[in-house]
Amino acid sequence: MKDKAFGVLQRIGHSFMLPISILPVAGLLLGIGSSFTNQTTLETYHLLGFMGPGTVIYSILTVMAQCGDVIFTNLPLIFAVGVGIGMAKKEKSVAALASMVAYFIMNSAISGMISIHGGAKAFLNGATCSLLGMTTFQMGALGGIIVGLGVAALHNRFYKIEFPAAFSFFQGTRFVPIISTVVFAFVGILMFYIWQPIQVGINDLGGLVSKSGVIGTFFFGLIKRLLIPFGLHHVFYLPFWQTAIGGTMQVAGKEIVGAQNIFFAQLADPSTMHFSTLATRFFTGEFILYIFGFPGAALAMYRCARPEKKKEVYGLLLSASLTAILTGITEPIEFSFIFVAPALYAINTVLAGLAYAVAQLLNIAVGLTFSGGFIDLFLFGILQGNSKTSWLLILPVGIVYFAVYYFTFSFFIKKWNLKTPGRETDDEETKLYTRADYEKKRSASKTGKKEESERLSASIVKGLGGKANISDVDCCATRLRITVADSDLVNDSILKSTGAAGVVHRGTGVQVVYGPKVTVIKSNLDDYLAKPAEEAEVPEAPEPAASEAETAEKQNKDEPKASSPQKSVVYAPLNGRVMELSEIGDGVFSEEMLGKGFAVDPSEGKVVAPFDCTVETVFDTKHAINLKSGNVELMIHIGLDTVRLDGNGFDIRVQEGDKLKKGDLIGYFDMEAIQKEGYRLVTPVIIANTDEWKKIELLKKGSVTAGEKILRLE
Amino acid sequence: MQEFQYTIQDENGIHARPAGLLVRKAQSYQSSATMIHEGKSADMKRLFALLGLNIKQGNTVTVQLSGEDEEAAAQGLKEFFGENL
Repeated sequence: MKDKAFGVLQRIGHSFMLPISILPVAGLLLGIGSSFTNQTTLETYHLLGFMGPGTVIYSILTVMAQCGDVIFTNLPLIFAVGVGIGMAKKEKSVAALASMVAYFIMNSAISGMISIHGGAKAFLNGATCSLLGMTTFQMGALGGIIVGLGVAALHNRFYKIEFPAAFSFFQGTRFVPIISTVVFAFVGILMFYIWQPIQVGINDLGGLVSKSGVIGTFFFGLIKRLLIPFGLHHVFYLPFWQTAIGGTMQVAGKEIVGAQNIFFAQLADPSTMHFSTLATRFFTGEFILYIFGFPGAALAMYRCARPEKKKEVYGLLLSASLTAILTGITEPIEFSFIFVAPALYAINTVLAGLAYAVAQLLNIAVGLTFSGGFIDLFLFGILQGNSKTSWLLILPVGIVYFAVYYFTFSFFIKKWNLKTPGRETDDEETKLYTRADYEKKRSASKTGKKEESERLSASIVKGLGGKANISDVDCCATRLRITVADSDLVNDSILKSTGAAGVVHRGTGVQVVYGPKVTVIKSNLDDYLAKPAEEAEVPEAPEPAASEAETAEKQNKDEPKASSPQKSVVYAPLNGRVMELSEIGDGVFSEEMLGKGFAVDPSEGKVVAPFDCTVETVFDTKHAINLKSGNVELMIHIGLDTVRLDGNGFDIRVQEGDKLKKGDLIGYFDMEAIQKEGYRLVTPVIIANTDEWKKIELLKKGSVTAGEKILRLE
Repeated sequence: MQEFQYTIQDENGIHARPAGLLVRKAQSYQSSATMIHEGKSADMKRLFALLGLNIKQGNTVTVQLSGEDEEAAAQGLKEFFGENL
């Protein structure tokens, strides 16, 4: 039940993204338009003659400001349609139309009720407003969200409904706007009675946050950061931005509700002297965090990375920082530490809460449309002037924050040896390696771009447990949000190999974090999923690793390349614990990219022949030996990444061309020395010509002694 | 037939991991792919044969491709070498 609720919340959170994505543009129009039509600004900069009232520029800017303003005024309708689209499972266009219809109906019903009960004058000041020509209740974006959610629920239930032949014209999707109309007429009437006490309640809660003042601001910041990894922050902050929880204020003679609305109303009002921190306390802290704090954290992580890894993490952290600084999209940087180092995540939430509180205490008032990046700071801080926003104070506070983040992160990373990027154990390190490889390859084959995106989609689908396992795909600014039938089938390492920074699970809800490019990935994935199964299968995909196992299996089934009538058996070449290759988790051997086989976690540093064979190759670096027996080609790869040891720690006693009997000594390796250098000892034993065998079967797992039967080949 | 030469830059030479990727890449083309080094030649679609050449950093290898898609194969493999080895 809890899991299901998370799944629904996740979808709701996502469905807000489409309407929210309009805000930056609307903000740009309103921000630029109203800044440069502001009498005070024009006078201050002596621009009245050049772009004062009556000039062409002034007219253009006025139109811009109006165009931006209309978005904010009609945000409830935009939310109604946007949420309807986001929450509808199929036939989303119908849900959009039905949402719009339902929104009109609901407000008309409320409007009717208001006039029956004596018109606007009979109600609390600020309780009613005029929207789209109707006198209705001030419900903000929440009103739209209620419509969107309700219509989507009706839609998902009825869009396939069937009627007797006489009424068949009205069945299916056509029924959705009809039922929405009927239902929302009643919802409107109901709202008339429900909304009055709710207004009182919301005002009280808003009052509580207002009364708790700076403490309330602190908790707002803390909780918002806390919710980020769960992707639920949109659900949380929106009421503050859009409803009376975020405050109510008289601006230019109108009662304005919601922090963001207040800020933009003040922005549009030329008489504003200084923006109110009552509204901006839910925003301004973000600039301090995103432009200064997080880059400080990134620098700390970079400085704490192992020297040989620095180059790798440099790119990751730099681009993540720039994204945060410019656009205020912080998932890339935050996801680089919150999963691997929950302690830093906890510290981060407290520091975030403090940033919001400090901004309020210092009376810094910079609003935002979307997120606290430089673009918004420029538009709503710098452009509005220091006298209205006190934005200059962000600089010293920011510098302090940069230092605080840098030093606390450095201190705790070292003290607790946290595994931030570039500090991972070998296990994870190789994952980075393969992902880097994958990225390289992707850029390499510019020709097959479409093919490439299909392969990416194919491996995302594999990682999600196959097409049949996916019941719903959505995305927000940075994450792919999927609902799956069986969460056990989801394979994180495959998903990470597709370029994901992190994977979040909640029951059947899965979020894969890709960063801002996620919308493209999602569109490709939709296209891919929409194809018929045979077509969707990418036949010869050398990449990604994930699909290899199946491809290999298929090959074996359909077209066994060489006739291999014999059967063969491979015996354990080492004492130790036998496991499946997939358990290595290194992203290469584990994905059977070099072939099928098994792995041994050795308990003794001695290798013997796994069958009667000839030594084909001994690597110069001594860490791997190729053996041939009949038509079995087998590689023993001692340890992982041990090619870098350049032979140190290995004492191989055989040469190319030597003939060995099963159990004959091949060589020794120094377990202690190799481990001390930081390498894993787990030893893959690979059938290099896997595609020449129909069946390769693991006979025994767990503890074995050298010479026991491990693998049967047919 | 298409042919090109490449000098290995990777400090570890053609070891197991890149070899595995290279074999996959070679297998994605129809053309036969052969790598020649110091008189020894190996089928690039076979991991074992490829590893048997024991290619190290600084070695110059010759790659020969022959078949219907040999041009695409030469192009693709050149890029692969440049990116990975």
